[in-house]
Amino acid sequence: MTFFDYDSAPFPIRADIAEAHRTYWEKLPRPGSWWTGAERVAIAAESRNAPTCRLCLARKQALSPEAVTGEHDCGEGLPPTAVDAAHRIVMDQGRITRRYIENNVAAGLSKEAYVELVGIVVAVLSIDEFHRGLGLPLERLPVPEAGEISRYRPAMLSEDTGFVPMVPLEGSVGNEADLWPGGLTANVVRALTLVPDALRDWRAIAAAQYLAFDRMRNFGQDETRAIDRMQIELIAGRVSAVNECFY
Amino acid sequence: MLRVSAMQNATEIDLQAINGDADGAAVGIEFGRELMRFAESVASRDEALDQHRQALLEAAGPAVLVDAAGVAANFQRMVRIADSVGIPVDNMSNELGQQVRAELGIERFPSAGNSVAA
Repeated sequence: MTFFDYDSAPFPIRADIAEAHRTYWEKLPRPGSWWTGAERVAIAAESRNAPTCRLCLARKQALSPEAVTGEHDCGEGLPPTAVDAAHRIVMDQGRITRRYIENNVAAGLSKEAYVELVGIVVAVLSIDEFHRGLGLPLERLPVPEAGEISRYRPAMLSEDTGFVPMVPLEGSVGNEADLWPGGLTANVVRALTLVPDALRDWRAIAAAQYLAFDRMRNFGQDETRAIDRMQIELIAGRVSAVNECFY
Repeated sequence: MLRVSAMQNATEIDLQAINGDADGAAVGIEFGRELMRFAESVASRDEALDQHRQALLEAAGPAVLVDAAGVAANFQRMVRIADSVGIPVDNMSNELGQQVRAELGIERFPSAGNSVAA
């Protein structure tokens, strides 16, 4: 059975969207840089568990998330710090702080593992949100694949901004040469580059769901889209505002 | 980006659409009201999603609905990338950006601290 077979969907789904979702689903169960295939699929499951987690819902209402303690409604296969991080990214990302990440490091969740986890959570979330937006059932999670993690770290890293190391502006060279062209990028593109595949994954999904990097400067009508740039940015802005995202 | 795209297209818009003003969303943007309400329902996970999906479908058709769902889903991801690793706004001194942030009043958001304190 093929993943993301949209033939039975009530609306025609663009082929590039189906392909982007399918490609990510093929990568998800394979060993990553810092998590095994089984752990990566478990992280994906926590992305789905978070919206109905009673602890997360209680924390969301609290003045401070630390004011509410308890156990997450979660599956198995991940350390508690990873479960908590996955749930917070989905449910309360605006209150994630440098101290929270440093405390997780002290508890054994490295910044490298955290960044890969962020990448998995948000990739799965965005695919699931596309389905939820259209009233489609969620795709079943893939079966984990065995193998060794790579422990890959980019050669050039900087701690000039944000809570985690990132590839610097001039760092898109060597193995990272494909990340962005000519030293021109934005903080949100650099954000997950401690694990370069995390950027590659979201960039591929974004090219289908939103716009490819090389089309970002086109403020007119993209011939591959049914909505124009103002319509696109209205949606983007409203979603960002509801999520209280300053960036 | 909404302000920039409106300027590039020489179109008057009302930025308060970003804050949920349905009448504002209709200014200069085709199906703006329906698109804004659909995006809001996706992001807030509210019970009106089915209603707002149907309203957008009836007003604009399935191709617009599918593209809108893609963009909403994409930004459900992007906001979480930005806030999860605490990145600041790239250029806080940009005049247009300052105007937009002031107009929207978004410095009240907790994640503003990642940029204001940077």
